[in-house]
Amino acid sequence: MIPKIGRRGAWWRKKRTRELAIVACFLLPSLAIFFLYRVLPLGWNLLLSVQYWSPLKPPRWAGLDHYQEMLLYDDVFWQSLKNTLIFIGASPIAIALALGIALLLNSDLKSAAVYRSIVFLSYPLMTVAVGIIWRWMYDERGGIINFALRESGVVAKPIPFLQSFEWALPSVIVAEVWQVLGFYMIIILTGLQSIPQHLYEAASIDGAPHWAQFGRITLPMLRPSLFLCAVVGILNSFTSFDLVYIMTNGGPGHATELLITYIYKSGFGQTKFDYAAALTVVQFILLLALTYLANRAAGGNAGSLERQ
Amino acid sequence: MLLPFYWVLKTAVTNENIYAYPPRLLPESPHLFNFVDVWYFIPFPRYLFNSLIVSVLVVASNVIFNAMAAYALTKSFPGKHAMLLVFLSCMLIPFQATIIPAYLITSKLGLLNSYLGLAFPLLSTIVCIFVFKAAFEAVPQSLVDAARIDGLNEWRIILRVLMPLSKAAIATNVVLAFIWSWNAFLWPLIITREPTMQTLPLGLARFLSYMEDTTGALYAFAAMVLAPSIFVFLMAQKEFIRGLTSGATKG
Repeated sequence: MIPKIGRRGAWWRKKRTRELAIVACFLLPSLAIFFLYRVLPLGWNLLLSVQYWSPLKPPRWAGLDHYQEMLLYDDVFWQSLKNTLIFIGASPIAIALALGIALLLNSDLKSAAVYRSIVFLSYPLMTVAVGIIWRWMYDERGGIINFALRESGVVAKPIPFLQSFEWALPSVIVAEVWQVLGFYMIIILTGLQSIPQHLYEAASIDGAPHWAQFGRITLPMLRPSLFLCAVVGILNSFTSFDLVYIMTNGGPGHATELLITYIYKSGFGQTKFDYAAALTVVQFILLLALTYLANRAAGGNAGSLERQ
Repeated sequence: MLLPFYWVLKTAVTNENIYAYPPRLLPESPHLFNFVDVWYFIPFPRYLFNSLIVSVLVVASNVIFNAMAAYALTKSFPGKHAMLLVFLSCMLIPFQATIIPAYLITSKLGLLNSYLGLAFPLLSTIVCIFVFKAAFEAVPQSLVDAARIDGLNEWRIILRVLMPLSKAAIATNVVLAFIWSWNAFLWPLIITREPTMQTLPLGLARFLSYMEDTTGALYAFAAMVLAPSIFVFLMAQKEFIRGLTSGATKG
């Protein structure tokens, strides 16, 4: 009979158990933080949106009342939804712009590196300060944009960019694009550098002109990067709170109100946490739907392709 | 791209009527009085102190917690794949989408108006965990095994073997964590109620609402707040970009 060979002893003394315990301990702090500030809030948010909530009383079930109020009676909601969609809709233009810049700067030249830094410089800056800078650039009397427009004779009277209903939203979007352009460019540059050079060599030997190389090699190979840019663009409708808050605070009227500023106002301005939670659910669904569409447009599994 | 920087600096060093038309393209008799004003007439040192405390908390805990989590993720354990999926999907939840429950949670924990509360949501970040994980996986396994044979325990292996070989990842962590905490606005806006706990971005926004851009001091303030992030970015540009792109491409 062959004697059984195996590690003996109680399970807690086994090496494997100890290893697992260490893994668990090491993961615990990070997991606790993610649970407290990512996973739990998401569920709680959903719960809040179907309750009547007030600071002192226990919450009561509300069903879909908040959603009904939002969808049927709340004009500000529809206005901010429209603005958010316009905001997101501007990101393809920004991505195309970034693609152009990235193609120009995709070389090992020293000067290209300097330009890359300059384009990217705006990204890590504090958005509050960026908002103040742009407010000043757009200023009716002291701003350089109105100065340039008047000097070149484009307009006779200065345009009060941030105070006018037509101009406020485009102006905020321009400032937002200025800040995020560098990030798009870096993502696209990383994508460009991962395209194998021999594809282009083969295409040149076959006599493919440059535009065909761009359309048949560069763009398809860049799909994951472009998808990523699109996701960043969609997420920016959330993260642009700082910029809008500083530049216009949603005004004039609600001309630049985004969903996220409206969420902040109803939640912390009017203490309607339940209603704000319902708004958040809507924006989150919007985000998921748009991300899904972008993923489809980028050819299905763009995300997993990138992870290879 | 650089024009906005120039325009704000120019305004910050002039004392003339900034609404004069046409605006001067070059500052006339530039001086630094506006910067001195900012330092003395608003609680700038207080804001700066608060911002620094929060940034230090965030940076330190990011390096420690992220390295620990990343080390755990380099090992094999049941449910690892699911764990990675959870991390990746958490990355897609924008923090702004959770502000209302996050506020309630923080108030239940009794951390409103505190440094810990300000720093809490940023104490560990998923992007940075993956940066560390990639760096640890690049360390040859034989080195780790040799250290274990020499009798080093897990902590020592991280501290003595893995961390010294992952300096670039540490730099990435420090830079990203600093930029995120330094620039954070919405979260401090929600959870601080007292001016003494406010950080620089809030101070800047408050100053804006008092002054309504009538003074060069506002732009001096903006320039002073931007300077550290520009400095950090220029110093550690490579680490910064690598962190963002590796994190981005992982998700």
